[in-house]
Amino acid sequence: MTAPNPEDKKVPQPAKVPEPVAATPAAAPAAAPKAVPPKYVPPVPVLNHKNGRLIEDRFTTWPTQVFANRWSRPGFQWGAGMLVAIFGGLAVTGIVVGELATWADKFYAALSSFAASKGLSALFVEGVWTMIKVLIVLHIVLINGLWSIWWERKISAHIQSRVGPTYAGSPKGWNFHGWAQTAIDGIKLLLKEDITPAAADKWVHALAPGLVVAPCIIAFAPVLFGDNMAAASLDIGTLYIFAVAGISVIGIVMAGWASGNKYSLLGGLRGAAQIVSYELPRGFSVVPVLMFAGSLDLQIISNAQAGYWHGIIPRWFIFYPVVGQIAFVIFLISSVAETNRTPFDIPEAESELVSGFHTEYSGMKWSIFFLAEYAYVLLGSFLLATFFLGGGASPINAAPFTLIPSWMWMLGKAMLMMFVFLWVRWTLPRFRVDQLMDFTWKFLLPWSFVNIAIAGLYLAFWFK
Amino acid sequence: MIRYFSNIANNTKALIQGHWITLKYMFKPAVTIHYPDEKLVPFEMFRGALLFDQQVCISCNLCVKACPSNCIALENAKNETGKKIAKVDWYSIDFGKCNFCRLCEEACPTKPKSVWHSLDYEVIFVKRDEMVRCWKKDFPFIGKYFDRKAQDFKDPEGQVSIHDVQPRRS
Amino acid sequence: MSNATQELKTDQLFINLGPQHPSTHGVLRIGLTIEGEVIVKAIPDIGYLHRGTEKLAEVRNYHHCVVLTDRWDYVSAMPNNLVFCLAAEKLMGVKTTPRADALRVIMCEMNRVASHLLFFGTYGIDLGAYTPFLYAFREREMVLDLFEMICGARLTYNYIRLGGVMVDAGPDWLKRTTEFVEYFKPRLDEYDTLLTYNPIFMARTKEVGIVTAAEAVDWALSGPNLRGSGVDHDVRKSDPYSGYENYDFDVPLGKTGSCWDRYFCRVQEMRQSIRIIEQAIAKLPEGPFMASGVAKIPKPAPGEAYAHVEGSRGDLGIYLASDGGISPYRMHVHAPSFINLAMLQEKLVGMKVSDVIALLGSIDIVLGEVDR
Repeated sequence: MTAPNPEDKKVPQPAKVPEPVAATPAAAPAAAPKAVPPKYVPPVPVLNHKNGRLIEDRFTTWPTQVFANRWSRPGFQWGAGMLVAIFGGLAVTGIVVGELATWADKFYAALSSFAASKGLSALFVEGVWTMIKVLIVLHIVLINGLWSIWWERKISAHIQSRVGPTYAGSPKGWNFHGWAQTAIDGIKLLLKEDITPAAADKWVHALAPGLVVAPCIIAFAPVLFGDNMAAASLDIGTLYIFAVAGISVIGIVMAGWASGNKYSLLGGLRGAAQIVSYELPRGFSVVPVLMFAGSLDLQIISNAQAGYWHGIIPRWFIFYPVVGQIAFVIFLISSVAETNRTPFDIPEAESELVSGFHTEYSGMKWSIFFLAEYAYVLLGSFLLATFFLGGGASPINAAPFTLIPSWMWMLGKAMLMMFVFLWVRWTLPRFRVDQLMDFTWKFLLPWSFVNIAIAGLYLAFWFK
Repeated sequence: MIRYFSNIANNTKALIQGHWITLKYMFKPAVTIHYPDEKLVPFEMFRGALLFDQQVCISCNLCVKACPSNCIALENAKNETGKKIAKVDWYSIDFGKCNFCRLCEEACPTKPKSVWHSLDYEVIFVKRDEMVRCWKKDFPFIGKYFDRKAQDFKDPEGQVSIHDVQPRRS
Repeated sequence: MSNATQELKTDQLFINLGPQHPSTHGVLRIGLTIEGEVIVKAIPDIGYLHRGTEKLAEVRNYHHCVVLTDRWDYVSAMPNNLVFCLAAEKLMGVKTTPRADALRVIMCEMNRVASHLLFFGTYGIDLGAYTPFLYAFREREMVLDLFEMICGARLTYNYIRLGGVMVDAGPDWLKRTTEFVEYFKPRLDEYDTLLTYNPIFMARTKEVGIVTAAEAVDWALSGPNLRGSGVDHDVRKSDPYSGYENYDFDVPLGKTGSCWDRYFCRVQEMRQSIRIIEQAIAKLPEGPFMASGVAKIPKPAPGEAYAHVEGSRGDLGIYLASDGGISPYRMHVHAPSFINLAMLQEKLVGMKVSDVIALLGSIDIVLGEVDR
């Protein structure tokens, strides 16, 4: 498409072939009728600083300088200072607030006395208290969506030598590292058009996201958030969590089927096969923990890890000589596979040239799948913290650390585990489907059985 | 048997070393330039948008012949008696065809060069007409474009200059 | 049981690995006929980026054609410039100066580094490793900055001209290049740890896409595709140009011809390129950077010439025929990506769908070169 000529009357068509005849030599001496001095002095260029902050020396942004002198970069100094301030502030807040379980007890006592004074039954108290706990757990899952997605984007950005979201938040100066990015993305997804493919099964298509996310939220019921801070103190907590979390496989298969698209179906089936296969090592790797703790109740498992060997090494299950490490690693790998994250993200990313079981979802339905993935990551992080990292117990047996309440330690350990999830995602390439299956059935599962055997030997000969 | 275990050990070591590298880079500063709050000034030799100086040009047509895309057009000026003088009446560059190869700047014989690359890389063309920049007497270095609807020469809005005073190439 | 499977009619499905797909190879379409999990037929469909440069060259003079050459393998444009200039110089009988030769070698090798970095990054992304891509581009930015410093453009350089080069490389540029080289050497070790010896990556690529040496020669592959199968053929060694015989470097070879071998060849070639750059900067001769005697509008005597170089993708060749006029009578490009791509028709048959991306990425094609 050729650009049109500006003035049709005055502008001739440009010559198609350059003429071989050179320019008239008479033009050269007649150059510059103004008396240009023989030594031309070029003008000093002046930069246009209205155009933003101009970086004149390109080499200050070269990695050789940026990496060599990190402490000289003001951004880096600010960042480090901020992190120290944030952690310190959190610790102080925790110490000041104290154990949330005591606050909850006080609230419960006040509620019962209020009900007694008004003559309402005990059922009323239980009902209100349960409602409050349900709302809190639901909000934990939702706020986790906001937080973990932002954190993932930031962590992945810094791993890749870039910054993540920076602008979303509010007018300039208050958009601290784009804190509101996920919220704004959520609003955008709400406003997106909800498309259901014509070939899809409408009801199944609509129900599938719910079936993926609802079991996850329900599974948070016995999850321990600190000492005595589970929404429902079940004595079969572990079994309940694993059982309920497994229901979401149906949701994935429904999503794959209902899209009416052969490749979504295959992606959904592969995802289901992957999740079901990895549930086995996940369950079996926790069995040594159950054997050592002697119960399925998460609170008792957490309490069994209190105390220190020789006053220094915490009695966390991860520190148990061979059993703890193998169990931790197998549980970690299986949790990563359960949540469909790289290196096991065949259903999500590259399922046969198109995206996986959630191809045909848009808008809020898709974002429910997305939130469900991060909710499972949170669940996995809390379980890892509870089973292996002591859940609420301070790692260092010294003064300021033991004052920090258990819920803060629990949160810290869960966030550390979540960081490991994110870290692994951005480092490793993904498995092929058959290699994935090989890995679990021929490697993880046998080793989890061996682990149980070793734990049995421990219990028989060491821990009397 | 030994191979099985050494295999596992080597694989684990390789994986952990990879993780260590990504962790190391996480704690290093980012190399991002926060465009549009921060902008890079290109190197001196950068071939940005072309500028033209009507006062210095001697209308020798070397740039027209040097251009591989035939995007330069000009017409000689005539003085009062109708004789051709060594100046341009008008000069135009079609940026839709220009491929920023610098052959025109190299071919220009004047000191300083009459056509040269500025360091502007933020050039936006909102209308098709804006892509053909024209220069007549007393037009600025950046040129104007002829708006066919308004039948008038207008200033291009879409070029954000890096320089207020442009550097010249001698 | 076998009777039941014989009566089971499986459907063959035709899908497009369409012109737009997430792997950043350009606009290539492969029509795949799939039966279940296995590919039955594969037809690459090209031409989406055809710009008719071979025809355009017939209406431009030789200096203008150099501008066209940049746009073939746009990821590594210096060897494109170089091969055309070599062919045209053969036609015109022009000899370049030693400094120009050395500068040409430095530029081509740096461009090889940049191009292989892009391959490394995008191959990682194809296989799910998102981080090496950004590390590769961080380093590639430095190379592009160096090119911008010397010739003004970051992708289509128009730097290597008939008879020499466009501008000279000052001491400042050489200092910065040395700085880059010193920074880059440890990065290669990091990339090895991150991706090359990663067990998951090796499991994905070691058994995939095996091309034996005989097959590779039959299919006329060139570049790292050929060397990955163990065939020791490098144009820089077998048919040296521009002074390559003065530099000391190895040619990495693969063993089995799998995707991993081809990938490994490219990563090792980056190391060898760095070696060449160091030697070339150390031995840079003084003198003019452009030969005298190149006409403003060259009119070579009637004849023909063929020149080939080791481009980043393989053996890039140009055939020029002149009839005495200012434009070439015919210019033909022997594009390595075009020829390497042909092997897909045979290789993809019998592979699983999940391995298509691994194989396609390891051939490392750039559509600008395939379609010209």
